[in-house]
Amino acid sequence: MSAVALAAVLAGAVALFVTRSRARVALVRAARPTPRTDDVAARAGRELTQVLGQRKLFQKAVPGLMHAFIFWGFLVLFPTIVEAMLAIVDPDWTLPYLGHAPWFLFVVDLFATLVIVGVAIAFAIRKVQRPARFEGSHMGEADRILLTILAIVVTLLLWNASRIALGLSDGDAQPVAGALSGLFTATSGTAERILVWSHLLIVLAFLTYLPRSKHLHIITAAPNVFFAKNGPSGRLEPQRIDLEGPDEDLRFGVATAADLSKKQLLDLFSCTECGRCQDVCPAWATGKPLSPKLLIMDLRDHVAGATGATGEIELQAPLVPDAVTDEVVWDCVTCGACVRECPVDIEHVDTIVDLRRNLVMAESRFPSEAGAMLRGVEGPNQNPWGQPASERTGWVGDIPVRVLQPGEDAPEYLFWVGCAGAFDDRAKKTTQSVARLLNAAGVDWAILGARESCTGDPARRMGHEYLFQMLAEQNVATLTEAGVRKVVATCAHCFNTLANEYPDYGARLEVVHHTELLSHLLAEQRLLTTGGAAGTVTYHDACYLGRHNGRFDAPRDVLAGTGLTSTEMERARERSFCCGAGGARMWMEEGGEARINDTRFAEAEATGADTVAVACPYCFVMLDDAAKAKGSDVRVADVATLLAEATLD
Amino acid sequence: MTTWVIAEVGPEGPAESALELLTKARDLGGDVAAVALGPGATGAAEALGAHGAATVYASDDAIFEEHPGSAAAHVLAELVGAHAPDLLLFAGTYASRDVAGRLQARTGTTLMANATDLPAADRATTEIFGGTAIVEVALEGPAPRLVLVRPKSFAASPSGGTATIVPVTADVPEDRRGARVVERHAEAASGPKLEDAKVVVAGGRGLGGPDPFSILDDLAAAVGGAVGASRAAVDAGWVPYAYQIGQTGKTVKPDVYIAVGISGALQHVTGMKGAKRIVAINRDGDAPIMQLADLGVVGDLFTIVPALTEEVRRRAGS
Repeated sequence: MSAVALAAVLAGAVALFVTRSRARVALVRAARPTPRTDDVAARAGRELTQVLGQRKLFQKAVPGLMHAFIFWGFLVLFPTIVEAMLAIVDPDWTLPYLGHAPWFLFVVDLFATLVIVGVAIAFAIRKVQRPARFEGSHMGEADRILLTILAIVVTLLLWNASRIALGLSDGDAQPVAGALSGLFTATSGTAERILVWSHLLIVLAFLTYLPRSKHLHIITAAPNVFFAKNGPSGRLEPQRIDLEGPDEDLRFGVATAADLSKKQLLDLFSCTECGRCQDVCPAWATGKPLSPKLLIMDLRDHVAGATGATGEIELQAPLVPDAVTDEVVWDCVTCGACVRECPVDIEHVDTIVDLRRNLVMAESRFPSEAGAMLRGVEGPNQNPWGQPASERTGWVGDIPVRVLQPGEDAPEYLFWVGCAGAFDDRAKKTTQSVARLLNAAGVDWAILGARESCTGDPARRMGHEYLFQMLAEQNVATLTEAGVRKVVATCAHCFNTLANEYPDYGARLEVVHHTELLSHLLAEQRLLTTGGAAGTVTYHDACYLGRHNGRFDAPRDVLAGTGLTSTEMERARERSFCCGAGGARMWMEEGGEARINDTRFAEAEATGADTVAVACPYCFVMLDDAAKAKGSDVRVADVATLLAEATLD
Repeated sequence: MTTWVIAEVGPEGPAESALELLTKARDLGGDVAAVALGPGATGAAEALGAHGAATVYASDDAIFEEHPGSAAAHVLAELVGAHAPDLLLFAGTYASRDVAGRLQARTGTTLMANATDLPAADRATTEIFGGTAIVEVALEGPAPRLVLVRPKSFAASPSGGTATIVPVTADVPEDRRGARVVERHAEAASGPKLEDAKVVVAGGRGLGGPDPFSILDDLAAAVGGAVGASRAAVDAGWVPYAYQIGQTGKTVKPDVYIAVGISGALQHVTGMKGAKRIVAINRDGDAPIMQLADLGVVGDLFTIVPALTEEVRRRAGS
């Protein structure tokens, strides 16, 4: 009798689960594939560290512990679901080997208790601490999920307690259930039946609830982490645009839900609305409409709505502005703080850029003030400011510089000056400092001069993939023809594009940032410093050097060589806060309550340092502008300039 | 040889570009006519005539405002068919580019865009490679040849003539009307029209606050110019974004640009480097703007600007 009832309930629950999952499964299966099968070992490694080890959850200690208790608890308690089913058929049945093993009984008892502790911490966070990261999340749904989890483990403990009272289980191995067994007597057979049924029914009800809830991450998180990007996060997935190819292959980013890739959809179904991304987002922090969490939630709700109650997939509605507004799409600085923070490896930045690609290439819809940048990059002079290409060497002055001519032998290092480094008065100082230092160290180096052009980074982050592709192909051809092997760049954006994105266009280069090369030259004593610079300095990590590429130590090593006393900002290294210029924001006007560069500069100023060291021309312009706007005496300077001032000739 | 100037008109008269093009058309020789479509057309005929149009084909019909581009292109195509002009000159503005493109699709004849001069009726010059080289191109193929000329390529000068007005019926079939304007929205610009001003007085961070902009207003009023600002001044909230000159603001090409308290960061310079003469007033003689300026004045702007205004007023008065 019980077996029949169990079979019926199981069949019903599974059928409901499948029905409710169908629309989302169909959507993901029909979606564009994401080429993410390289380096399976690295992907498997993430499953160990990030899923089993909960690495990214522990980036916040207490919430991390809360989640780990519940997650590990459920992993351990999984066999008890089978145990409950067996016991429903016959109270004497249990799992072979495990069912009566005292160590297993103890582990179940311990982890069930830890889950309760986890739920208690979760409620304390949500009801007492109430962090701002939950703003906009579905709080009621979270409460229901937590209460269900609580009900699952409480019924499990009580069921185990009743089995101890009935003499079916060993009380000595289960301290908590053993203590609770006092609630029952040897005649509590009916209570035991009610508890085991309640336990199983709650588990199955939870299963059927999952497919349409934000708790679906317990199924989607592991594959989402597996299919996350390998390698530096600064590399954007290229989108080849072949105007000669068949029309059906021509795609301009993401316009509707039907254009989202498998990974992008999996991202949407993996979000638990924890808000860690929102907490670190420079746009949200300065009062702009963009929150990475709300972006993902809005896209998810749009897609979920599109698959509606009928199960029919209606995907023709544009994601912008139906799901998210234009402003949200343009607010992003692509700093990657959200991606780094996300415990389930949602890739917000790639989706935002894909939305931009559609707006720019298909609809020509973007903040109009950025048009000058695109025209400049596309125009004959190929730089964002449209400055004459012939003036690329305008910074040289009396510094001995070799301009690599076609046909000449390539130097050991090609110095990729970058457009800012060539044209912007502040960045030019960095360029000049690096040139002098390279000469002082006797490095064999040269520049491309007028043959250099924009790497295409601002166009690409703006969504103009086609323009980027043209520049990438052109620059790769120039560098390859010149026989260049090693490149040094002062701009973090050029560095990222040359190192991580040009390989997709055939480049085979060893790319270093100037701070790396300078640190290397210092270590080899090819550069000798006085070490006598006085004052305090705080180093601002550039997103595309630090977080996106893991270069944290080289600039700090160089600063250590100057003799300046270093002090760190509260948000430093991988948690550094953007200057506000990334993602082509350099070329757009900023709205919102506060400006990102002012916010960051205030953090730098709060350290009491008299110099803010930067390692990217964008950061230089943004933070220096903030300093000037505030009328601050704090100096903003590139690491290279600070080193040059402390270097022996 | 008949040359037509497609004049942009409004209730306040013809656009300056129409008078510039008429002046040029006169130099090219032959018959010169103007086509003015839209409210204000008949009213503009006198000024058009005074600048060399012997005939003005005019229609005051509001349909040209209701269906921008398409209505004018259709009526022009009919007029061209009836009168067979040889050369049509358009101002290189958004509105006229729209009309010229649509008209070319109907005539199938040569269309030259972005011309800076017409050395002869079958020749045009244009800039290539971002303005680093100037080339002369031949206009070939059958008439009418259409040329879009950059505004301010020529100086307008009156000929003292009068025009015969030929009324044009705005008969545009339904399927030729295209997009219809459903709403107009005037962007509230508290400043004067920067892009057209012959003199621009721009203020930057050196002003130190919103109030000193009044001394720039005084100077601009004295010289008949407009006031602009650098991004720093706009970001600081001293003046609205409509004032902003630079990479992410407006691009201006006045005859005289007076930069007051502006250091000359690249972001700003890209918006004003096309000015014919640049005057910089700055406390810092090493500011980058000084390298760009034709005249650099090092000193306190609060002393220099009012003195300059005073001197301009005195000379204007005498």
